[in-house]
Amino acid sequence: MKHLIKVFCFVIIFVILTVSFSSSYLQVNLDNIAVVVAIGIDKGENNTLKVSFQFTAPSSVSESGSSETAPTILKSIDASSISSAVNLMNSHLGKELTLAHCKLVVFSEELAKEGISDIIYTFMNDAQMRPSCNVVVSKCPANYYIENSKPFLEPLISKYYELFVSSNQFTGYTANATLGKFFDNMICQSCDSYAILGGINFQLSKNAQEGFSTKESADISNSASLNGSTSSENVGLAVFREGKLVGELNAIETLAFMCIGNTVKGFLISVPSSQIENETLDIYLTPSHKTKIDVSFVNGSPFIKIHSKFSGQIRSMTNDSNYLDNEVLKRISEACNRYLEYVFTQYLYKTAKEYKSDINAIGKTSLKLFKTISQYEDYGWREHFQDSFFDVSVDVNVKSSSLLSDS
Amino acid sequence: MTDTKITSKEAIMLIVTIFVSHTIVTLSKNLLSNTKSATLINLIYVGIIALLFAYIIFRLLRNFASLDIIDISQYLGGPIFKNIVGGIFIAYFIGTSSNLLREFCEGLRVAFFPMTNILFILIPFILVLFLTNSLSFSSNIKTVSLVFPFVLISIVFLFFGNFQNFSFERMFPLLGKGFSDTFITGIGNIFAFSGISCLYFIPPYLKEPQQMKKICLTSVIIGLFYFLFCTATVLLLFSFFVDVDEVLPLYSAASYIEFGVFFQRLEPLFMLIWILEIGCYMIIINRFSIHIFQKMTNLKSQKPLAMIFPLFVLGIALLPQNYSIIRFLETNIYSYFIIAVVFVLGITILFLANLKKRKERKNSL
Amino acid sequence: MDFKKIITDIFTYTPKQEYDFTLLRGTTGNESAETTELVKQNETKTIYPSLNVNLEYVKSKYNSMINSDIVIREFTLNARGKQYSAFLLYIDGMIDTDIMNKFILEPLMLRNKSNLYDSDQNRVISEAVTNNITVRKVKKFNLADYIMTCLMPQNTVKQISEFSTIFNDVNSGNCALFIDTLNIGFDIEVKGFEKRSIDKPENEIVIKGAHEAFVENIRTNTSMLRRSVHNENLIIESIQIGNITKTSCALCYIKTLANSDLVGELRYRLNNLEIDSMLSSGQLEQMIVDNNLMSVPQTLSTERPDKATSYLLDGRIVLLVNGAPYALVVPAVYTDFLSTPDDKNMRTSFSNFIKWIRILATFLSLLLPGLYVAIASFHQELLPTDLLYSILASRATVPFPVIFEILILEISFELIREAGIRVPSPIGPTIGIVGALIIGQSAVSAGIVSPILIIIVAMTGIASFAVPDYAFSFHLRIYRFLFIFLGYCCGFLGIGLGLLAYLAVLCDTKSFGVSYTSGISPLQKTVGHTYFLQPVWLREFRASYLDAKKDKKQEKISMKWKYPFLKEDDLP
Repeated sequence: MKHLIKVFCFVIIFVILTVSFSSSYLQVNLDNIAVVVAIGIDKGENNTLKVSFQFTAPSSVSESGSSETAPTILKSIDASSISSAVNLMNSHLGKELTLAHCKLVVFSEELAKEGISDIIYTFMNDAQMRPSCNVVVSKCPANYYIENSKPFLEPLISKYYELFVSSNQFTGYTANATLGKFFDNMICQSCDSYAILGGINFQLSKNAQEGFSTKESADISNSASLNGSTSSENVGLAVFREGKLVGELNAIETLAFMCIGNTVKGFLISVPSSQIENETLDIYLTPSHKTKIDVSFVNGSPFIKIHSKFSGQIRSMTNDSNYLDNEVLKRISEACNRYLEYVFTQYLYKTAKEYKSDINAIGKTSLKLFKTISQYEDYGWREHFQDSFFDVSVDVNVKSSSLLSDS
Repeated sequence: MTDTKITSKEAIMLIVTIFVSHTIVTLSKNLLSNTKSATLINLIYVGIIALLFAYIIFRLLRNFASLDIIDISQYLGGPIFKNIVGGIFIAYFIGTSSNLLREFCEGLRVAFFPMTNILFILIPFILVLFLTNSLSFSSNIKTVSLVFPFVLISIVFLFFGNFQNFSFERMFPLLGKGFSDTFITGIGNIFAFSGISCLYFIPPYLKEPQQMKKICLTSVIIGLFYFLFCTATVLLLFSFFVDVDEVLPLYSAASYIEFGVFFQRLEPLFMLIWILEIGCYMIIINRFSIHIFQKMTNLKSQKPLAMIFPLFVLGIALLPQNYSIIRFLETNIYSYFIIAVVFVLGITILFLANLKKRKERKNSL
Repeated sequence: MDFKKIITDIFTYTPKQEYDFTLLRGTTGNESAETTELVKQNETKTIYPSLNVNLEYVKSKYNSMINSDIVIREFTLNARGKQYSAFLLYIDGMIDTDIMNKFILEPLMLRNKSNLYDSDQNRVISEAVTNNITVRKVKKFNLADYIMTCLMPQNTVKQISEFSTIFNDVNSGNCALFIDTLNIGFDIEVKGFEKRSIDKPENEIVIKGAHEAFVENIRTNTSMLRRSVHNENLIIESIQIGNITKTSCALCYIKTLANSDLVGELRYRLNNLEIDSMLSSGQLEQMIVDNNLMSVPQTLSTERPDKATSYLLDGRIVLLVNGAPYALVVPAVYTDFLSTPDDKNMRTSFSNFIKWIRILATFLSLLLPGLYVAIASFHQELLPTDLLYSILASRATVPFPVIFEILILEISFELIREAGIRVPSPIGPTIGIVGALIIGQSAVSAGIVSPILIIIVAMTGIASFAVPDYAFSFHLRIYRFLFIFLGYCCGFLGIGLGLLAYLAVLCDTKSFGVSYTSGISPLQKTVGHTYFLQPVWLREFRASYLDAKKDKKQEKISMKWKYPFLKEDDLP
């Protein structure tokens, strides 16, 4: 009898718990969810937001693993906030939206200029959003950007969103801007946040790869002319200050940002050749050690010394190149030094003077100079950063060319 | 119950479990809001003070072989004093454990069960307590010793998994809020070492009472390392300038871990281990409370209390109406209560009892 | 249903009514200092001329009062018309009784013509007469020679003067003949035990070990143990259980190793069973264990004599039941159910690798379906997005929720498993494959279940087959359902707390006074192999939780050939 009572109690408890957890179960279980892959936020009419959600139709992902691109569905809705947009979409779809697999958040440039800190706070408050989700500011409307994000080599768009930034480690043309990092930089008083600059490349069709690699110095998203098949392009950075978009960086400036921030593993630069006029050499550089940033205060203004060291490999070759000569290599190294120092200095003064935004988090390095937090807060790094002076020194050691040394 | 004896390693695990359970909830954030960037230095400083306290407790307990603080308070002030002290310790254990349980369940609710009433999230913990209270104390200790290594590994993994996201500059400015805030008022951070309260109760259970010194010191040192790992994870990952309080900071920290594309969002796995840990913590605290009550009332067996104390815990856990009251209780009331009971009352009782014993010895000579 | 009684039962104190036996550590004397060498030195003793002294010595050495298969046959020997007292020592079940009767007892006991003439008559070898004095060279009558050369027509007979040799041969199946007034014993070859009509084990197959299994006859089984252990300290006590059937059970242990309290406790439990019949070892197991909490097996059941022998040498006790080909080993702890006899036969790196595969199999068998249900119900963010899409795509046409789907599949799998046992042997093994592949595939095509669930259930099934012990894998199969329900009910919260409760009850279980989870907590000081098997030269000590009389089972330097110049004093 005692055993029966035990079993009976167990069944009752099980039933009570099942019923009480059933509401959560209904909301989050696998059969009831619509998986959002990307969110686009535009400025709507009358102070509203136009929120676009991108889904992948799961039934199109076949069991055998099709190599064709799975079709995506994009739905836009006007709402006063993100949470109400999600709510409205739930009722529209009849399923619960889950943001747990959202890999991309796109803000339109217009909205970013007005400030997005509230939206970022809302996202970070949501238990479902991933801090590793990429943040993009698009020069065109966000839903247009998402609509035109079509991966060439990936069947699933979610994988494409995760991987499209991975090339930046070897090009330096855009940075890894995640939601968690954006939020962290936004609330931090010693740095500012940044996002990937996205746009639509109208020229893109057959010349896609060449278009990216040749125009490296002035490339910025959305800068190509019209006509042709469309595709999204992510080159450059959007610079924020206190949650508002204040400027953009082009590809080479982004490269400078990545080098100073120690996030690039290798990159290609073109320097004028010392041997042949009107010719440029392509040098592939890799960092030899981390960039050293040294901050000191001179008359109350920050004096920032930056020293980087790279080793290089010559990638381009002509029919009369001679890279076995030490003098030639030295001259090429010096050309690289001058070029990089110029690029870094331009970038630093642009962000400090024009944008007044410390996206490289140099302020964190200055924390060492203060004894207490109140001293730091009293100093007000953000206000003083625009008065900074920079001393950039770059040391490039071009070691050799690739397979051929002499022609 | 004192027929069961535990080894010194099990005793160390018991005490460190109490330390760890608090870190899983909001202890790291509480410490950071007190001392900001100087928290790591402050922790080492406070850890040394806690080590001293542990050593003092060992020295004071040494004269009372295999007696716990309830017996000593009876020796000091008779049965009435014993009952008062016992009541205070029960209130301390039940209060802190129910608050911790409630906070953890709130975190669970936010993370996994947004539509479920908090009562139903608390109930499974209470049911487990019903079951474990009916088993023997030694089997409870064995369960804790089985679960403990996984918790250790999870915290270390959390630290090293997030290594690439750390900004080591966040350890500066070195003095944080200032010298006095770090080293003088910063002593208040010693409430983190509330697990020292178990040292008052374990002497009767020890198989090798001569190992008491090793237990006292090793458990505080391991606890200190734990705190350093957890606090460093939160400090180096999140900015301390703006006080953004997370419900479960370590849960938020776990969401940053990613290895490639496949291993992302591993927080539910961490939560699984932490649920086991909180369960173990509740088992230990419940056992101690029941043991104190049994001593106060001279009951023959613990069986009648096996169901009552968990229900008591459930009742107190349900008292706060919203999350702000829970945080208020934790930061403003329980932290001072811990310092008062564990570091002031306990040591005072031991000190006075030692004085009384010395006086009696002199009189007998 | 009396509610008042229920409430008073729950909330009031009642003195403990259940029997509780605990094996206390450190109660036995510390005999670990005694090495095997010292034991050998005590053995050398020569045979006494007095028969009674020999008889007493043999009786005490072989514990013949309690040992049921040691036989001492006393008789009167006729030689040359004189009669001498004699006795035969042998082990029942190991000798050929025909040989003994015809070629030993008959010629020695019965009168025959060649044996009749007077022993006083001496044989005259030569005679010489000098000075009227006759000198005769006479050969005196030697009884031992006479028996050896004339009386006993048995092929191999040796005259031995030391007890150690005699005992060694008796343990191998010979019989020993002791005669009054002679200070030698006769070692006679009469071996007649069962050899290799014994079958291969059906359920415990190993690659490198022996291929003998226990049979139904208890004497054959005990003889197998005797042969393996090869020592007179192996005690085999016979106990009869069942008022009607009076089934004989053998309680086997090594006197100098097994804990006396444990032996006494087991004897007590076996002698206090009031039942009519005992027909199998499974029935006996259920009657003698502490409790049936959680249906976790508390004794180890084996059909291999080599496995039983290794457990005997560890200090455990083996129970044999007449009519059942399985031996029960007590006490058994959690880690014993994860080991096979092959572990000790192979190199340690191989055994440890396979052991960890088995531990993984235990984990998968118990928790995999529950974890899947929990993840699918509450924690889908844990899944990588690509995998999530595959699951969603495959589940698109399935009409059932995850819990229902998994219950259908699990129960079908159990049905197929059960059917596979009953089906006649030619198609028996194929039905498992047919059932799994075709029925599973058809179910997926029909849209009843999703393919991912077939994989989950198949993995769980394969994992449960990888667990070596049948009873233990059955326990895991049952509790898997509990975790499925808990995972469905409250996700990882249910699984975490369920696991905690499961571990708590497991830690509370005792197997004959030994804690069930001895040694699996990494921080408990337990000697004996737990998660990792040590190399063979490091297995110096027996398991500490058994509290055997001798802790050491080999010297610190067991391979003396490798370190011939190293002395005991030089050891750290």
